[in-house]
Amino acid sequence: MGICQALHKQGSFMYSDLNQRLKADVRLEEGLQACMNCGICTAICPAAEFYEYDPRSIAITVQSGNHEKIAALLESDTIWYCGQCMSCKTRCPRNNCPGLIINVLRKLSQETGAFIKSRMGRQQYLIVKSIGANILQFGYCVHPTSLVPATHPEQGPVWRWVYENMHEVYAAVGANLDGDGPGAMRKISPTDLKELHQIFKVSGGLKLYQTIGHFSQLKAIELGLTDENGDADMEKYTQYLLNE
Amino acid sequence: MNNKHVAVIGGGIAGMEAASVLARQGLKVTLIEKQANTGGKLNDWDHLFPDFSSPEVLVNSLATKTKDSGVNTVYNTEISRIERAGKRFELRANQDARFYADAVLVASGFNVFDATIKEEYGYGLFGNVITSVDFEKRMKKHGQLHTIQGTDPKRVAIIHCVGSRDAKVGNTYCSKVCCITGIKQAIEISEMLPDCEVFCFYMDLRLYGSKFDSLYLQAQKRHKIQFIRGRLSEAAERADKSIQIKAEDTLQGRPLRMTVDMVILLVGMEPGASTSQLIQKNQMTVDENGFLKSANVHCARNQSTQEGIFMAGTAICPMAVNETIENARSATTEIIHFFENRRP
Repeated sequence: MGICQALHKQGSFMYSDLNQRLKADVRLEEGLQACMNCGICTAICPAAEFYEYDPRSIAITVQSGNHEKIAALLESDTIWYCGQCMSCKTRCPRNNCPGLIINVLRKLSQETGAFIKSRMGRQQYLIVKSIGANILQFGYCVHPTSLVPATHPEQGPVWRWVYENMHEVYAAVGANLDGDGPGAMRKISPTDLKELHQIFKVSGGLKLYQTIGHFSQLKAIELGLTDENGDADMEKYTQYLLNE
Repeated sequence: MNNKHVAVIGGGIAGMEAASVLARQGLKVTLIEKQANTGGKLNDWDHLFPDFSSPEVLVNSLATKTKDSGVNTVYNTEISRIERAGKRFELRANQDARFYADAVLVASGFNVFDATIKEEYGYGLFGNVITSVDFEKRMKKHGQLHTIQGTDPKRVAIIHCVGSRDAKVGNTYCSKVCCITGIKQAIEISEMLPDCEVFCFYMDLRLYGSKFDSLYLQAQKRHKIQFIRGRLSEAAERADKSIQIKAEDTLQGRPLRMTVDMVILLVGMEPGASTSQLIQKNQMTVDENGFLKSANVHCARNQSTQEGIFMAGTAICPMAVNETIENARSATTEIIHFFENRRP
């Protein structure tokens, strides 16, 4: 059996009971009671102004319980456009929250591997690799030492100078970079990091990292991004994602 | 039955109609109005749907009927309490006045939704955002519609469901009369200012009444009123005092921004302010929307949950003018049955 077939088979297996799995998430109970299609969420949504994105139609799709349409959503770029600002929650006349529905769909997309079917979804791998690793290594989602100028051109030319003179710059603005004691960007103690690691373990965060890694490897193999042994070459895959 | 006394609370159209019918049946009737005039909210209204008739004519004819039938009307008197006193009821008013009655009819009406609660629509903040009630008052007083800058509006947006079907303001029910009011006002604007574009932002057009749908057709066909299915998320005032509004055109599936010269908010109906007072000291209750609860929603609509206290009009639920009058008449039938069936 080819890897694509294996992926397909696994995918179709993983896609069973989508509705039940959505409903099992408490956030859906909170996020979608009954939608009357008024569109106020889309009207307030910042993402809807920039992307082909319509939170109302997502709410309606989930409400419909249509398996094919929900599966298509899980495989789409659509669910990754939300910026989680939760403006929709402040407006919905039925007290729904499309932002929470999106959370549930994203989680299911990650768990089922559907995320590797879309460009925006595949970015999950990069996020786990950067922010996901940072939080466990440093206790910060973003840490200056991990923002290497070469891989973060979006930071602009000044960042290179900040990066190269990191300790002086941070000290000059009153931060305590990697230092003991209080202050911004202080070192997070090993006890706290251990606790953080434990939280990720118990809450399923670590498992989700592994799941995202697993499906990303399958995608790398599908794309032929392999080493001499035929295993996924995740450095090549990272480069692929950065250029995609 | 002729020696029985009925106190009717509220001199709006429901109270006037019911009082005059009861008096013509030979009952002693006292109509108690908190303001200096009868007619209630209709005194501020310019034209009625669906026939663009004058509420003034209606109110005057009801006032004449009330007077001619021998109803004793008391003005400037607000009832704060209805208490059972043996087989009768004692009604207390604000300035220690007391009334005694064998049956009470509560026709205390509704409150208009306070649009400042929907802060995101800018009512009370932006001069060119008005309510449907303000529109009627202006039309009645000035006979014309101007922006705050004193110009004729070139574009007007009429917003449906303000304070209705909205869990955020605690009113999940439909106020029912706003859709047709919006269409009526859109037509009036279009007739007054033929160059003005009028847009109605709606969720569902609930045109339940006879002749309502033909008014909708007329609005589209003759007046080119545009109907956009989407609920407004917010309104913002621009430097030139025009109003930018945001909605989703849900039939197109596209977010929409539009700049208009004026916004009219179709404000819904809420339970009357006096309702919570009137249900104290007796067995009356309110329904899930805060309106007075009927003993049976089908066959005893006008009976409250307290025997001997009846209800009429918008104290029960939102209703239009013609329904209110019909409802008032049906209340009188229930009151007459109550006296006929009562053991002496």
